[in-house]
Amino acid sequence: MDFTSIFGDYTAIAPMIILLIGALVAPGVHLLGKKRTATWGFALAVVIVSMVINVLMLVDGWTGSTLGMVYYTDYSGLMMLLFQIVLFLAVVVSNASVETTRFNVGAYYALLMAASTGMMFVAGSQDLMMIFVGVELTSISSYAAVSMKRNDARAAEAAVKYVIIGGMSTALTLYGISMLYGLTGTTNIAAIAATTSITGISFVFGIALVAMIAGYGFKIAAVPFHMWAPDVYEGAATPVSLFLATGSKKMGLSVFFQIFLIMFVSGTACAKIAGPEVQYLFAIIAAVTMTVGNIVAIAQNNIKRMLAYSSIAQAGYILIVMAVMSEYALSAGLFHMFTHVFMKGGAFLVVGALICAGIGEKISDYRGLAKRAPFMAAAMMLFLFSLAGIPPLAGFTSKFFLFSSTMGVGTAAGISLESQWIWLAFVAILNSAISLYYYARVVKTMYVDTGESAERIKVPAAFTVAIAICLVAVVVLGVYPQLIFDLCETASHALLFA
Amino acid sequence: MDFPILSLLILVPMIGAVLTLVMGGGRQKSAKYVAAAFSAVTLVLALFVLFNSDSFSSMSESYEWIKTDFVSISFSLAVDGLSILMVFLTALLVFLVVVFSAEAEEVETDRPNYFHTLLLAMEVGLMGVYMASDYFLFYVMWEVTLIPMYFMISWYGGPRRHYAAIKFFIYTHVASLVMLIGIFAMGFKAAEVTGVVDFSFASIATVMHGVEEGFQALVFALLFFGFAVKMPAVPFHTWLPDAHTEAPTGGSVLLAGVMLKMGSYGIIRICLEALPLGASYWQWVIIAIGLVSIVYGAYACIAQKDLKKMVAFSSISHMGMVMLGIGCLSDAGITFAVFQMFAHGLITAILFMVCGMTGHKVGTREIPLLGGLAGKMPVYATFMMFAFMASLGLPGLVGFWGEFPVIFAFYEFIVANDMLWLLLFCMLSLMLTAGYYLWAMQRTLFGPETTKIDLSHAHDVSKTEFAAMAVLCVLVAFFGMWPDAALQFIEPYTDGLIDILGVI
Repeated sequence: MDFTSIFGDYTAIAPMIILLIGALVAPGVHLLGKKRTATWGFALAVVIVSMVINVLMLVDGWTGSTLGMVYYTDYSGLMMLLFQIVLFLAVVVSNASVETTRFNVGAYYALLMAASTGMMFVAGSQDLMMIFVGVELTSISSYAAVSMKRNDARAAEAAVKYVIIGGMSTALTLYGISMLYGLTGTTNIAAIAATTSITGISFVFGIALVAMIAGYGFKIAAVPFHMWAPDVYEGAATPVSLFLATGSKKMGLSVFFQIFLIMFVSGTACAKIAGPEVQYLFAIIAAVTMTVGNIVAIAQNNIKRMLAYSSIAQAGYILIVMAVMSEYALSAGLFHMFTHVFMKGGAFLVVGALICAGIGEKISDYRGLAKRAPFMAAAMMLFLFSLAGIPPLAGFTSKFFLFSSTMGVGTAAGISLESQWIWLAFVAILNSAISLYYYARVVKTMYVDTGESAERIKVPAAFTVAIAICLVAVVVLGVYPQLIFDLCETASHALLFA
Repeated sequence: MDFPILSLLILVPMIGAVLTLVMGGGRQKSAKYVAAAFSAVTLVLALFVLFNSDSFSSMSESYEWIKTDFVSISFSLAVDGLSILMVFLTALLVFLVVVFSAEAEEVETDRPNYFHTLLLAMEVGLMGVYMASDYFLFYVMWEVTLIPMYFMISWYGGPRRHYAAIKFFIYTHVASLVMLIGIFAMGFKAAEVTGVVDFSFASIATVMHGVEEGFQALVFALLFFGFAVKMPAVPFHTWLPDAHTEAPTGGSVLLAGVMLKMGSYGIIRICLEALPLGASYWQWVIIAIGLVSIVYGAYACIAQKDLKKMVAFSSISHMGMVMLGIGCLSDAGITFAVFQMFAHGLITAILFMVCGMTGHKVGTREIPLLGGLAGKMPVYATFMMFAFMASLGLPGLVGFWGEFPVIFAFYEFIVANDMLWLLLFCMLSLMLTAGYYLWAMQRTLFGPETTKIDLSHAHDVSKTEFAAMAVLCVLVAFFGMWPDAALQFIEPYTDGLIDILGVI
């Protein structure tokens, strides 16, 4: 299809523009119609249109840029697809969720769409300032989305924490960027890498890197910058928690990939100077993040907090990519990001659906769920087992690729066994085993324990549909990973060697 | 042969599992007929493969599964002399467990259809493990066996079932993850030569045979750990007694009968076949673990008060015998180690059925509370005696051919190495084994009828239970009289394996 003839110079940002227009129009639609469902239908339609256009462009292999500022590549297209899937899952259930009944839904959908636009913008950027702007668009929209649950102390606490910590991380990031600009006179990532490869690494350059790692580390809730995540995921409405845990976190990871992998893998001489130190730094962050996430998750009684810690741990797994820094690892990491959207998203959806049916957020509230809501319990079990990495589910397959990438370096030049990161593989598998403990505990609560009530539960149809989508994805991607993995390989090649 | 019979061995139980899963509500009770039908079909298919041993090589299947820039994974299945006995044993035991559990209370009271789903799901995994010839598939199937077993213990098990189930789950999961790292290492090492991480058994083994000893030994250790926990070998055995004590009878039968064999199967299929230098490097460690297992297992049996726990420890002892046979790295040693796997699978199935019956017919499995059951339940007592005799290695029954030739192979090995005193361990274990079985028999079956428990409701073996155990007893006697019926499959396989190990 000739996309350029339809969208002209704006083809590269067409999926974003549509979402942004949707975000601007949504409050108006709500104001005029005064109908929650109509607004929801409008938002859903916008998301689907944007997604369809993106999928068509991605499959077509269209590449190009708008004004040389936002680029549509195989990588950014894939990441945009991921963010759109997250947005879709969040929007589909928002109308049915009881947690959003008091929301001003016009503003709510506008915020979600604006946040997604920011994420997609980040994926398409190759310049530190552009990335910064995209991240801020997402962050500010998310702060507001978290705080929409008015008259709820937990939500207010969450929002305040989120704003303060988010603001701090923004400041740190900006500080780092400004130092890099001072050193190299540019904010273009490739240009920074090229300049640095001539001038060499200075002490200030190191400080700038650390500031940026810390700043964006907040976004992905890497330990020790993770404190806000459990409070925010617990306090926000479940569709928003889903959106943040699966979407906003992926944006942070994408930023890492886009900045550091381009600097250290595709930038030639630069890699030889600063590579190992940065790799070790990331390896330690990855190991600590997954370990802390998993261990603290064991102690949680609230299912949303448990899922929050588990997603901290999952971010730790994905950070393996930053330690290994190979093409194969990046493909595996991208693939894990996709499977994580479906399994973690699915788990949050089950929680949200059960809240609608009057079941609390405590793990003990799930006693005897298998008899009360067989489909919900089965879905939750499969999502949790997938998160734990039990075959033949998607989480296993993606972990298989991701963990195996620590053992060897696969590049276009060939494959060789490397022993450098084997310790990281051991840390990762031990963590997998730990995680099995708390996931299995929830499964046990649902299936083995008997609850006070044996009444059947009805959940809204929208939730059932969204959960079914996630369930199909988790099973299909587990058995037939190539469906997405091929795209991930193309994307990682595009990011590293384009 | 174009007919994909090996895939069917996986597919048929899978369909059965799905069917029984959806048989909710009023149809729960009839799930057992569905399960019986599907496991019977699987058994027939397995027998068909067994009796067509000439065409094993033409049965193997391979379909491309995942193919990326760096990784190549195929769905490949194959049978040979080593796997066919395990495939047969799996199909047989699953069918017999369905028959045996037809009237079992522990199953019938709570969602009986799920019990059969779990059984058939486990069969899928077991069949997959024994037939896989691709590491990815092997690992997937290896883990697939875990979840049904976890649920079987935590749903249908005894009072401490949650603890036992999670312990079983975590222990074996950690072990298999360590194994996974070994698999990764082999995959990438092989990829240095072949250019792509190809996880098929054949392509990895070819490269591995040429790799230096240090690497082989390292990877061997990782894989061996995974398998040894599953077997289980002392000191990684502590999950087994708990799992067995709490598992329902059907679960125990499969756990001891075929799931433990996954460990020894993995050692032979992967550790020995792919890493011959690693095997010779660790030979004494394997032997030491084998010796400690046979003696410790037997010794612990004496102290047990719970009949089922005693049988569980005896499994550790008997699997130690398998480990010892493998450790000899000789033709006779490995041949009879495999035979012992098969023999133990048959015998232990009867043993666990008998123990399970003790539990739900008499009401307790505590040996000190039992006594004089032979008078009250003669048929039950006959089966128990038969199983005990078979297990302690009475000549003429299958257990004899599992144990004594292994000890003989070990004798040859230690004579060659001038370490004859090690034979004392074997002697000790044999004596202990005879001792605990006879003592247990004496205390439970004979003597005056116990007054410590109420025996008025105890009734003898039911028809389905009788049928299941009778089939096993016939097989135990048959293979005891004519061990060649099984050895004819194993010997050609070990001949080939010895050629590989001859690289040493």
